[in-house]
Amino acid sequence: MEDHHLHAFLAESLALWRVAGKVRAGQGKVCAQIHASSGAIAWVERAGDDTPFRWFVRWRAAGEAPGGVRELRPRACGSLVGLLAALREALGVERGSPVRVVPAPERV
Amino acid sequence: MPLIPVSVITGFLGSGKTTLLARLMRDPAMGRTAVIINEFGAVGLDHDLIETSEESFIQLSNGCLCCNVRSDLTQTLSDLAARRARGTLPPFERVVIETSGLADPAPILHALMTERDLMGVYALDGVITTIDALLGVATLDQHEESLRQAAVADRIVITKTDLAGARAEAVRQRMARINPGARVVEAANGVIAPSVLFDCGMFDVSGKHPDVGTWLAYESGAHVHHQHAHTEGIASFCVLRDQPLRAVTLPLLLSALAENCGGDLLRMKGIVNVLEDPLRPVVIHGVQHVYHAPVWLPRWPSADRRTRMVFIGRNLSETWVRALIDLLDAEVAAETAKRSGVVA
Repeated sequence: MEDHHLHAFLAESLALWRVAGKVRAGQGKVCAQIHASSGAIAWVERAGDDTPFRWFVRWRAAGEAPGGVRELRPRACGSLVGLLAALREALGVERGSPVRVVPAPERV
Repeated sequence: MPLIPVSVITGFLGSGKTTLLARLMRDPAMGRTAVIINEFGAVGLDHDLIETSEESFIQLSNGCLCCNVRSDLTQTLSDLAARRARGTLPPFERVVIETSGLADPAPILHALMTERDLMGVYALDGVITTIDALLGVATLDQHEESLRQAAVADRIVITKTDLAGARAEAVRQRMARINPGARVVEAANGVIAPSVLFDCGMFDVSGKHPDVGTWLAYESGAHVHHQHAHTEGIASFCVLRDQPLRAVTLPLLLSALAENCGGDLLRMKGIVNVLEDPLRPVVIHGVQHVYHAPVWLPRWPSADRRTRMVFIGRNLSETWVRALIDLLDAEVAAETAKRSGVVA
């Protein structure tokens, strides 16, 4: 996944969540930064091949002082689904429910 | 024992639900049908208008079925099944639930899909939504409930087409935009053959293939490839994919849709070409965040083997959904390659 694809997807995700903000390119390990108009900032990093994860996310919640726990200790995410979950938490998005899969009638 | 199909008849206040049900119940083909009617007022009237045996007729008047009496519905259906098993009730072969005119059908569908006591006895057949040819367009403009009822329908019945000033074609065009996967039919005075409305669901208890031909007609009809349509925020679009999806992508996709779209995703149906088993498509079906487990069909229902997914919801981003599917599948491919020691 190229960075520009990720940036476009994250920008679409912000719109879906009705969060005002911008997605920017990052520096170094950071492949994307999200700046919400609420003041929250999230940093997305790709995990290396030597880890069982695919993404790391750090964030500073709206109104939080720099250097908080989540800014220093990244959350590891195993997939894009986890990355989106971490970003929703970072940006204070209350959205959706865990998927519930029920037996199809033929299988009951 | 075969599962008992349950159909939900919904539609806005005065749209002709009771007239339709009353006429249907006069048809000999509906002889073994239990009827549950939910009326919003404290004093029910609709049940007096429908001819059916008293013992297989239940009236729920405690409030709107989608919120106040969902547990009552579950209890009622459980009781019906128990009495049927004991032989104290005629062996009904179908249940029809008429909702109140203000009901949101989604919680009712959730109950039918998820309640443990119901799952081994009943199978959701489909949602039949009535829309008034006279006032339907204005109702859709003014009432969110009406839009939601239309959006989740498998069958849409345009009623009152015999009245002066009826605008059936305008309603039909509107429905084609809101819910292009639903079959639209007309019924003056509720006259319509039951076979047109029933056995339309994803899981036909008679063992037939699900009605994929109808609900995937979106992309084969008058609708332009990849074009989406939206009305007052209710949008529908079809995602077509020539490339198969990896099996692991599917549960990730369902999770991401549920967690990120929430109640904005009203209904999703799809037939998926899975990379690991391309000869047998997988059918997926969900209402908001609740999905039936994917079902593998024994074979493709037509020569078209593309993945086709229909999404209906409010403020859904087609671009986001398409990107999500592509990115998830690419991620699964990369992870699979990584774990097998192959460089992606």
